[in-house]
Amino acid sequence: MMETSSQSNGDSEQLRPGLWQTVNERYPGSMITKDDLVPLARLKKPLSECRLTFVSTSGVQPKGSLPFDTVHPVGDYSFRRVPSNSIPDDLEIHQLKYPTVGAKKDLNVIFPIERLNEIADEGLLGELAPDFFSFIGYNMDAERLERTLAEDIADAVEAQASDIALLAPA
Amino acid sequence: MDVTKHIRPPRAVFVPFMMGHLFGVPFHKKLQRCIILEALDLLVATDESGFIKELAVTWAEVRRQGKDI
Repeated sequence: MMETSSQSNGDSEQLRPGLWQTVNERYPGSMITKDDLVPLARLKKPLSECRLTFVSTSGVQPKGSLPFDTVHPVGDYSFRRVPSNSIPDDLEIHQLKYPTVGAKKDLNVIFPIERLNEIADEGLLGELAPDFFSFIGYNMDAERLERTLAEDIADAVEAQASDIALLAPA
Repeated sequence: MDVTKHIRPPRAVFVPFMMGHLFGVPFHKKLQRCIILEALDLLVATDESGFIKELAVTWAEVRRQGKDI
């Protein structure tokens, strides 16, 4: 696989001009904007000694846990803990905002829990955190998202002493 | 890519895949693993915040590979 790389220069180039304006008109304040870059946090030990957690907006959750509210007009600001030793058959998706056809065949296309366990078992990572974290990406109140859900997940990740958080949108 | 640049993550791997298929196509373990390892590599290789690595693989190519699995 050939690879290219590019570095963000801070410019926001909309591939679909006018889309963000439309989204903001319908859901005022929903588009999060940032004026600066997050300071880079460097690893303090080798990857092979690091604990990793996974944070996803896929809405994957353990079977039997409270389904996400996928129809609320402003969104669902809760998250679910997904034990990192779960198998795909233990999990389900409650999400309407993205096509789940691939995930229903192989959950790893959106929530690569098996791949992460394999990588940890091989010793490329120290270990996986006890829990991964999942929420749904449909949150129209950006201020509430930042004040509640983001803080709650950050606290939960920190409580499990993870060195790395791999974040993946759906 | 425009959304990724807009939110300014400290480091990111961008994949040009269909929504809901961030790690590729079903049962393509090699690709799923590759994407994860590319992200982990950024933890070591990135010098400054805002770096976005693009994987130069197309969705069409990945789907073709998936059909052969």
